[in-house]
Amino acid sequence: MFRYIIRRIVLLIPILVAVSFIVYFIVDLAPGDVVDTTFGAELSVEEQEELRESMGLNDPVVVRYARYMLGLLRGDLGISVSTQKPVFEMYMQRLPATLQLSFWGIFVAMLIAIPFGIIAARRQNSWVDTGSMVFGLVGMSIPNFWLGLMLIILFAQQLRLLPSYGNDTWSSIILPAITVGTTQAALLIRTTRSSMLEVIRQDYLRTARAKGVNERRVIYHHALRNALIPIITAAGTQFSVALGGSVVTESVFAWPGIGRLTIDSIYARDEITVVGCIVLTSILSSVVILAIDILYAFVDPRIRARYSK
Amino acid sequence: MSETKKILKIEDLTVHYDTENGIVRAVNGINITLDHKEALGLVGETGAGKTTTALSMLRLIPDPPGRIVSGSIEIDGLDLMSKTESELEKIRGKDVAMIFQDPMTALNPVFPVGEQIAESIRIHEHVSYQEAMERANEMLEIVGIHRERAKDYPHQLSGGMKQRVVIAIALACHAKLLIADEPTTALDVTIQAQVLELIKEYRERYHTSLLMITHDLGIVAETCDRVAVMYAGNIVEQGTLRDVFNHTLHPYTEGLFASLPNINDRAARLNSIPGTVPDPTKIPDGCVFAPRCSYAADNCIKSPQRDNWVSESHMVRCSRYEEPSFKIIRGNAT
Amino acid sequence: MISPDNSTGKEMKPDMDRKQADQITEALEYKRLNFWAEIWRDFKKNKGAMIGLFTFIVIIAITILSEFLFDYDTQVIATSTADMLQSPSGGHLFGTDQYGRDILIRVLYGARYSLLIGICSVFVSVLVGSTLGIIAGYFGGLMETIIMRTMDVFSPIPSILLAVCLTTAFGQGLGVLMFSIGLVSVPSFAQVARASVLTIRDQEFIEAARASGAREYQIILSHVLPNALSPILVQSTLRVAVAIVTASALSFLGLGVPPPMPEWGGMLSDGRSFIRDYSYMTLFPGLAIMVTVLSINMVGDGLRDAMDPRLKR
Repeated sequence: MFRYIIRRIVLLIPILVAVSFIVYFIVDLAPGDVVDTTFGAELSVEEQEELRESMGLNDPVVVRYARYMLGLLRGDLGISVSTQKPVFEMYMQRLPATLQLSFWGIFVAMLIAIPFGIIAARRQNSWVDTGSMVFGLVGMSIPNFWLGLMLIILFAQQLRLLPSYGNDTWSSIILPAITVGTTQAALLIRTTRSSMLEVIRQDYLRTARAKGVNERRVIYHHALRNALIPIITAAGTQFSVALGGSVVTESVFAWPGIGRLTIDSIYARDEITVVGCIVLTSILSSVVILAIDILYAFVDPRIRARYSK
Repeated sequence: MSETKKILKIEDLTVHYDTENGIVRAVNGINITLDHKEALGLVGETGAGKTTTALSMLRLIPDPPGRIVSGSIEIDGLDLMSKTESELEKIRGKDVAMIFQDPMTALNPVFPVGEQIAESIRIHEHVSYQEAMERANEMLEIVGIHRERAKDYPHQLSGGMKQRVVIAIALACHAKLLIADEPTTALDVTIQAQVLELIKEYRERYHTSLLMITHDLGIVAETCDRVAVMYAGNIVEQGTLRDVFNHTLHPYTEGLFASLPNINDRAARLNSIPGTVPDPTKIPDGCVFAPRCSYAADNCIKSPQRDNWVSESHMVRCSRYEEPSFKIIRGNAT
Repeated sequence: MISPDNSTGKEMKPDMDRKQADQITEALEYKRLNFWAEIWRDFKKNKGAMIGLFTFIVIIAITILSEFLFDYDTQVIATSTADMLQSPSGGHLFGTDQYGRDILIRVLYGARYSLLIGICSVFVSVLVGSTLGIIAGYFGGLMETIIMRTMDVFSPIPSILLAVCLTTAFGQGLGVLMFSIGLVSVPSFAQVARASVLTIRDQEFIEAARASGAREYQIILSHVLPNALSPILVQSTLRVAVAIVTASALSFLGLGVPPPMPEWGGMLSDGRSFIRDYSYMTLFPGLAIMVTVLSINMVGDGLRDAMDPRLKR
């Protein structure tokens, strides 16, 4: 099993290298470069050309990428043009805020969605079931940036209860977390319900009942363990999606995380930061997915067996 | 029959399922009795209502859509219909236990097999975890599995071993009544023999009563003392092995025996009972077998059938037996 | 157990003969025609799905009608300082924005961008993704490895970020958006297509088709494809909904459809600057996105339930 993990990590490396190349290459295609945006107004065309030569910006893309990769391996992702700070340092500084938001979002989502999903599966066609399905459908259809704006209007402006931007007080996280968590909760409730429905039909639950196991244990011990895999998958995927979606959510709430950093650097045409942010976020996303895969092995012994081979 | 308490007494049991297509009359007014240490075979085709009968005995009919419309079920004197759910939980696994048909799906894939056996023991008896696991290991050995395998997961076992674990779970608390629902149907022939042998040995040692559900008359002959033949939710004939095998009364039973191939006559055609099993949502009022019966009379189709006790042990549900001189032809092949 | 003796009756030939293979293929044709009719019948029974479908058709109708009802230059993008920032009222049901433009008209007109991007991008990614997935699943081997590894490279990048990346490189505009969002969905279709091909590939009726003389491409077209179609169809509805939300998110960030085109996400971005005192500006465009996406998801759910083999008898 340990070897499986090592193998997965090793396999991940070429993929991440390819990812970084693709991102670098695509962003590089954008017109204009560092010299234009920072010094375009100040220097003459010849001076700009000289600067480019000295910075190595006229070299073919593969060479520049190779230079970039070597830097990446050392943890050096370049210096941001707008702030003159190392990209890596800026990213790491903002990361905790995003992680905090993502964590609370998924945590509250699971706290609500999983119990309701289970109850919905057990009592089909009850109001809990119908309510969960409606919430699930509507929740996954609401664009979360719009939800954020609506929440701001209601809670921050009309009711003046909660702050609408920044991360200054303990209550700052509430509206952003609700925004992030609602879509996640909607999808989780649907996944939990359908996964439980699948498991509830299984014969081994009948065996458990025939043994005299009480109904609560049948559902929460025997059934739930088996229903967990799709639920964990959904939660993990949602976390990854939220990492990407942080660009939008953090924009709405002026939340000082990596999403904000990414989008600000796009506006500033700070390509090197853009590439760094996307590459680092992709790495983060892959780590989360790997962690989920490993989690599977703890939940389902059949998967554990497969990993050990 | 003596009036000593029977281990199983089912009276006039009727079970319906409410489905989109209508009411499925799965079981229609059946009566079954079983003495202590006795084995009764419940024979019938797929869809005859055998599994529904078995599940009713544990009150495990999914409700909805199923419901026990009428009838009483007594296990060792306990009236199951009046028990609450928590009382039933105490009875299941302890007084009556069930072996299910498909070993591949009967075990929970995420728990080790030893634990699944031990769970049964811990529920019904106040023993420590260690002691329960020890007894689970013993059960494994009784069913012929090395105790080291207690920590294995179901997917690591073969089909035959899985079924033996299912049996070990059922027998873990040494229930007085064992219901076996086609325990060997999903297994290879050689494993079948082993499993049947296992059940036989266990019964001899612990004097357990057995309700053996099967579609295979051979298994009945091998393991049971009495047999009940079921067709479309009705028990059409019930009696000792001798009664039913040698003095067959019901035309359906006759048809079952006739459809067994004759090993001595290899050129003969296979006999089958003409027609098909009725749609369970459209069960007729009269005899349910009448449409396929070569002895059917007008009365058969119109009037509801009653149980006729031809001897103290032998019953047939056929109105033609109200005529004193009615007899069927019972022979092999054509 | 007494087992039936196989020597009575006819002997079974070891391989399927031509006639039997033809019969099987014919039966499958018949089964396939009824397959879709049955799905439609089950779909119709689902009230939620029908409401979703109806709503979606209404939205399409609005898109088509708005082409004739509204004049782009005078009604959709023309500014009018006199009408600036008016709250919803009789004259302007959804109010006006900071340039005096009627929001209701802009919302109705703006449907086309979302629908266009949603449908076209998914159309392209279905074609590309499913083809790749079917090829990978059916032929296996090196081709499968190459295709699936390539898909793997794109998966760690969160889709919005990839789209953002592409729009930075290629600039703004409908075309770029369609391409980026389409590209982002390709791996999921490849996976879905490949998975369903794998389940069918080794089944007996494929063997039967080969035995009756069908060529590989015929087998793919008439047997593999229809079976793969159900999950692909369900996945498509899901991806259209995702595409619409992604497109509006990008426009919201200023990276999508550029102003003055009234794309819903872009309108939300406009409204945001005025959120304090003119909150109605952010209400209606977002509501439009939600209703559209909701109707598509309802249709998707209905399709999935109708196609679920387990729910069928």
